Amino acid sequence: MSVENEMKRAAGKERPSSAWEISPPYGTKTVLVVIVVAIFMYFSGKNSEIDRMFYLLGEAAGNVVGLNESSQVVNGTQTIANAMFPLQFSEVTEVSRIENFDPEDLPMFARVETQEATTTVVDPATLAISKTVTERTVVYNPVGYLFHVVDKMIETIEIAIWATFFSIIISIPLAYYSSANYTPNRIVYGFARGIVSLFRAIPELISAMFLVLAFGFGPIAGILALAFHSAGFLGKFYAEDIENADKGPQEALRAVGVSKVKTLRYAVLPQVLPQYVAYNMYILDRNVRMATVIGIVGAGGIGQELKGRYDMFEYGHVATILVMIFITVFALDQIAGRIRSKLI
Amino acid sequence: MIRFDKISKSYPDGTTALRDISFEVPKGQFCVLLGHSGAGKSTILRLINGLVEPSDGDVSVDGTKIAPQTLQTVRRKVAMIHQEFNLSGRSSVATNVMTGALPDVPVLMSLLGWFPAAIRKKCCELVELVGLREEHLKRRASALSGGQQQRVGIARSLMLDPLVILADEPIASLDPSTSREVLGHLRKIARERDCTILCCLHQVELAKEFADRIVGIEGGRVVFDLVPKDVDDKTLRLIYKNYDDPAGEKTLMEANVDKALSPAIIPG
Repeated sequence: MSVENEMKRAAGKERPSSAWEISPPYGTKTVLVVIVVAIFMYFSGKNSEIDRMFYLLGEAAGNVVGLNESSQVVNGTQTIANAMFPLQFSEVTEVSRIENFDPEDLPMFARVETQEATTTVVDPATLAISKTVTERTVVYNPVGYLFHVVDKMIETIEIAIWATFFSIIISIPLAYYSSANYTPNRIVYGFARGIVSLFRAIPELISAMFLVLAFGFGPIAGILALAFHSAGFLGKFYAEDIENADKGPQEALRAVGVSKVKTLRYAVLPQVLPQYVAYNMYILDRNVRMATVIGIVGAGGIGQELKGRYDMFEYGHVATILVMIFITVFALDQIAGRIRSKLI
Repeated sequence: MIRFDKISKSYPDGTTALRDISFEVPKGQFCVLLGHSGAGKSTILRLINGLVEPSDGDVSVDGTKIAPQTLQTVRRKVAMIHQEFNLSGRSSVATNVMTGALPDVPVLMSLLGWFPAAIRKKCCELVELVGLREEHLKRRASALSGGQQQRVGIARSLMLDPLVILADEPIASLDPSTSREVLGHLRKIARERDCTILCCLHQVELAKEFADRIVGIEGGRVVFDLVPKDVDDKTLRLIYKNYDDPAGEKTLMEANVDKALSPAIIPG
């Protein structure tokens, strides 16, 4: 090495180290970039009402510490919070609305109660207001609604699992054709890449909206919307891993004339498998979260219930649902963490 | 068995790896290619199984000229052992060895990871032949020592009963005593099966000990072609400029070590 360097130096190609320089990390260019970014942020901030956001936040903070008397943000938050508590767990169903009611065959924890209901009636002739008290028999179930929410949550998780399963199936061929070193030719490669990008580009909420029109309300639309969107992610992740996999084992198989598919199976798959499992866990986790949302457009699951209750201003029910979603996502995170640490 | 006929190879970036190489390796010979890094040894090996295409000239194996149509037939007869073993580290030893026979396994079966009974049986025999034990079969390849991994590589290369084994610096990442063992094993197996071996090496001593013939490569040309006993320091200077320290890299390494240890550089 040193001999080579000396030769280069002698040939005048290289300067002695006393003449070398390491330039400082920041300079005029950095200052210019900062100025440009600052200008951009100023105008964009105006557009996005960032100034108003800080004003409202300041007002709220002032209200909390007692500096000013009213704050729109604090009032709104308080109203919602008050309406949300207590959480709604119970369910009351009028007996007359239950077909073939059998008092011996009640759901768990439920009991039959008599409730008094006061109804105000206006006599159309005299316009006098009279109150009548009627008695009605109801089935009171203290945890009825909670059970209903749990049921919906399970449906949501099922949607997420099926969506993840289908997205894996869809993304395997996509990944094969969209990885530069396994695709048969440029056209197929471009086509596969295009599909993967397209899947990723359409938000699941939007595609769910249209799929609901095609398949009707319910989980089918949700499963398909999530499956296609996450196939876009998985296809990209898989393909990148295939491209970056260690070339050694692949060359070893190629040298004895092993076909591409078999090479992928035996020289690439074992290498990338732990990474694939991690991706799939992430996609499952993400699908559970998204499955709670896509119900809002009618694609099944807990979101549908949430939207219904929200529209009826039943915030107690909404709160129960939100807590349920939080618990589920948290629990799933824990489970996923354990599985991942075992597999990798 | 292997015939090079006026082979030249230059890469698209303008480097010329080989210039007008012609030689022949007869059946059953253990032929070693000596030369410093970048002399063109690996290119010569890769020509034989079509991983590299010559710019000019012909290569033939067992009388078949290598061309796109004949490539698959030739590759079946030619096995390769690699410097970095090139095993699939997370797969078991058995799977790694059996992948050597993949061209013979139907696609669907191979995708499901199901190898025919004959191949499984052969895998066991070969694992024993290269000196590993039954308990190694299920272990991950990456859990084995370097020498053991290269044995797995040898077993894999034997799965299709090759006529030719190409060994690309098979012992470069092994310690000296393991190197000797692995080379010894390779030669023994080749003798028993009448395999032709073409092997790139850096270690002159080992080459002299194991080879039937030593070909010196320098600057993409054959500079000597001798039986081991005729290889002396003078011939070796044709490939290693100042033979005393073969491999060339050794000088570099030692120079760096000396530098690193010199008190002027150690702080404090």
